[in-house]
Amino acid sequence: MRKRKDKAWYVLFVIPLLFVFTTVVIVPFVIGIGYSFISWDGMPLNPKTFVGFDNYIRIFSDKRFLSSVTHTLLFTVISVLIINVIGLGFALVVTSRLRIRNAVRTMLFMPYLIGGLILGYIWKFIFTDLFKMIGEITGINNIFFSWLLNPRYALVAMIVVTTWQMAGYIMIIYINGIQSIPEDVVEAAKVDGAGFWRTLLHVKFPLIMPSFTICLFMTLSNCFKIFDVNVSLTGGGPNNSTEMMAMNIYNEIFSLNRYGYGQAKAIVFFIAVATITLIQVAITKKREVEM
Amino acid sequence: MKTKKIITILLSLVLVMAFALTGCKGGDKGTNNDNQPTKSADTSDKKDDVKEEAPKAAEKIVIFQSKVEITDQLEAAAKAYTEETGVEVEVWGTTGDDYLQQLKIRLGNNQGPTVFSLAPGAESEELKAYLADLSDLTFLGNVAENMEDEIDGKVVGIPYTMEGFGVVYNKSLVPEGSVTDYDTFVKMLKDQKAAGINGFSLSQESYFLIGHILNTPFALQDDPYDYIDKLVAGEVSMVDTPEFVEFAKFMEAIREYTVNPLEVTYDKETGDFATGKSASIHQGNWAYGMFSDYDVDFEMGMMALPLLGNNKLAVAVPTCWYVNSQATAEEIAAGKDFITWLYTSETGERFMMEEFGFIPVVSNMESPQLDPLSQSVSEYAADGNTIGWPNSHWPAGIVDVYLKPVTEEFFTTDLSGTDFLVKLTEAFVQAGQ
Amino acid sequence: MKKITRFIIQVIIIGFCLLHLFPIYIVFVNSFKDRQELYSNMMAPPSEFTLEYYKLAMEKMNFFRAFGNSIIVTVASIAIIVLLASMTAWMLVRNNNRLSKLIFFVFVATMIIPFQTIMMPLMQVMGWIRDTLHIPMLNTLGGLIYMNVGFGASMAVFLYHGFIKSIPISLEEAATIDGCNKGRVFFSIVFPMLKPTTVTVMILDVIWIWNDYLLPSLTLSDKALRTIPLSTAFFFGQFTIEWNLAMAGLTLTIIPVIIFYVAAQKHIVKGVAAGAVKM
Repeated sequence: MRKRKDKAWYVLFVIPLLFVFTTVVIVPFVIGIGYSFISWDGMPLNPKTFVGFDNYIRIFSDKRFLSSVTHTLLFTVISVLIINVIGLGFALVVTSRLRIRNAVRTMLFMPYLIGGLILGYIWKFIFTDLFKMIGEITGINNIFFSWLLNPRYALVAMIVVTTWQMAGYIMIIYINGIQSIPEDVVEAAKVDGAGFWRTLLHVKFPLIMPSFTICLFMTLSNCFKIFDVNVSLTGGGPNNSTEMMAMNIYNEIFSLNRYGYGQAKAIVFFIAVATITLIQVAITKKREVEM
Repeated sequence: MKTKKIITILLSLVLVMAFALTGCKGGDKGTNNDNQPTKSADTSDKKDDVKEEAPKAAEKIVIFQSKVEITDQLEAAAKAYTEETGVEVEVWGTTGDDYLQQLKIRLGNNQGPTVFSLAPGAESEELKAYLADLSDLTFLGNVAENMEDEIDGKVVGIPYTMEGFGVVYNKSLVPEGSVTDYDTFVKMLKDQKAAGINGFSLSQESYFLIGHILNTPFALQDDPYDYIDKLVAGEVSMVDTPEFVEFAKFMEAIREYTVNPLEVTYDKETGDFATGKSASIHQGNWAYGMFSDYDVDFEMGMMALPLLGNNKLAVAVPTCWYVNSQATAEEIAAGKDFITWLYTSETGERFMMEEFGFIPVVSNMESPQLDPLSQSVSEYAADGNTIGWPNSHWPAGIVDVYLKPVTEEFFTTDLSGTDFLVKLTEAFVQAGQ
Repeated sequence: MKKITRFIIQVIIIGFCLLHLFPIYIVFVNSFKDRQELYSNMMAPPSEFTLEYYKLAMEKMNFFRAFGNSIIVTVASIAIIVLLASMTAWMLVRNNNRLSKLIFFVFVATMIIPFQTIMMPLMQVMGWIRDTLHIPMLNTLGGLIYMNVGFGASMAVFLYHGFIKSIPISLEEAATIDGCNKGRVFFSIVFPMLKPTTVTVMILDVIWIWNDYLLPSLTLSDKALRTIPLSTAFFFGQFTIEWNLAMAGLTLTIIPVIIFYVAAQKHIVKGVAAGAVKM
């Protein structure tokens, strides 16, 4: 009797969201998998040919896609590290006892609100005109030049802008984690004579492990999926040196009209990223302290 | 006992969602009725705007088009049309940026507009299954020769206007007629550079960087479309074609004597030109709108890119009107009526000429006041000094996805002109696959 | 001595924040300039603070209508997401069996799917629902809200899932012994304790839904239904972009989000201060 009731509650609590989620995300995704076996331009009235695994096989000889995979990996690894370090730093500052914390919290959060073409326009101005100007005035031409014209620096520029955007965003989640550390635990540590760093490393960090898991996962998946910044800032250039996977797939589907092939790439992309991020979640989850 | 409370909460939740979802049962009768005023619970606070029960299908058409610049004016025209005929015309708004993608998704899901715009060429060819036959429109005889879009022997697209691109130049810095070929072009670049002025400017956006300027050597071929086909098939190479070899020389000169176009945005390009910091830019007559905030104190004109002495401007129809073949017969008829009205009635003419600022493409219209650049274009056209826009027949997406990266490489490294042509040729083969 | 270091640290932090906000400064000052002034110096303060472009932008955007639509979509989507996701996550954590693990895995894994790759099939599914079941999923705010719930589900479940685990189960057990059923336990004990996470989810979702362009642009065609980001699309022409209007529009768009954020943040701090004592 009791068990049956529990099951009913389970269904009642889980099914509504699961239903919406299935119709909006899962079903379209499965349909997308189906399209990856077809050669088609995406318009229902135009011809479709079933090509089996051809689209998938083709991916492995697509040099441009493979190099976009490399860029994305490089970009993601570096960005995730920097964003999390800075985001956590921000969160520690704004949860400290400093008087300016409230103002700072708002200021740091704002960048995420600017996106799209305006984001690209402003940062292009900074990396091109402003940097050149600073270079001319200070004479430090080897750092301050047009970053977007240099393949390596264009990638750095993308990391800078992404960090600028995401750090304040990820800060919000870290704040939540830090705030949920019970005061008395920290106080107890202080009474025991632990200094600032000791408290941070041995008391606070273990307690905010759930936040780490979440933030790492969110930055990982956001960086892997990076699109907006890519399109509006570098457009993949110069010479494809900053073309990321999402942009490559998007171009395949919407610019070159190779819908089936683009979907196949998307599936491969999904499997690859899912593997990496889930490994990450598994690793960090193990370190979480259950209360 | 307490279960009751919970169940109440959940039930009300389901109800809220149901409300949100089932708000409007009337708007799903046919293909295009989505645009009917919605009466969902969520919008009930805006009842004042909800019209009376929507009229029959053919009493209303929907227009979706890419030229953002004329959105306001087109809406005014739609209103005028409703006043004259009683047929409601709704204009959907969009960015120029992702128009094609939005249109395709809507057409593909049976929620397409009645009347829409496309660039004639690769775009209209791809969507030809969705284009209604417009061959029976009464005013076709007035449309300038070869300006309508014809696919498989049927007229499917009605031209908006003419546009032309080439070298927009400052007449007080570059005397009229002084640049006629490669040597005079390079001399001009050098002279201007010596005077501290940028002689010629492209800009970083894909079409302004390569898409337009590369059109010229194609247009100078005897049969441009045939050349594109052969290029895509790998049967010819740009390296063996004199017009392209000359084009590469031009590009090398541009790289050597002018500001790197990758550091120039469209806004900067036009700003530099308007303030006399550049003597010429590769642009079209659409750029004139960018100068309206500036006090331009010189006369400007347009000339051809003097490739192998070319003196013809690239002039063509950038956009055509199309009618959705998947709409109901009544809607198609209503769509055709609207287009006919736009091209034959006095009000329609007033809107096209005065409000949209279009260059006339039908013999029954005349434009009272054109800006200087459009004036230039229309003079070139009147004199027959024009070449076409074969670039609209290039494989879809090639400019953004393949040509731009190659050109970026050209402008950031010391890639030779010949290698540049080799890579451009490869790009065509890849894009055509 | 300590006071001075503190002061210096604060000055450094403020300096860093100002640098951080430089791009926002650019948005702000250029919303007052015409094309020529913007071209001549992007960084300088405007020659005059005219509200002309704001007025024009508001007019062209049909600002109040768009604002109303955005409010409806954002509030309704978030209310449903918060409610359903917290319920789901709680059940998944407390019944950590195989099925729960699988469901959680599916939620999390799908966060990785780039939206661009499922938007075509999504529109097909929604079109199909409209044509066969006669539920108007497309071109209605309700349909958009429904899809927002679907797309917001993963992240919200993920966040709740992470934080529910740090809530001691003992309180719930005590309540169960007292005769409370599951629903009662959740709504009167667990949900209030999740307040900081709820506020976090709300903030993250407000940022996303309020600024979302792609999904609404695909589902809403009717002009009367446009949300704020859709209405600013007007300023981005194929070739010509009206930067001053676009930036004025952006400023108008983000102000409500900032106000919301400032107001919501207080609740995180308060909520914890009140809840933490009991632990």
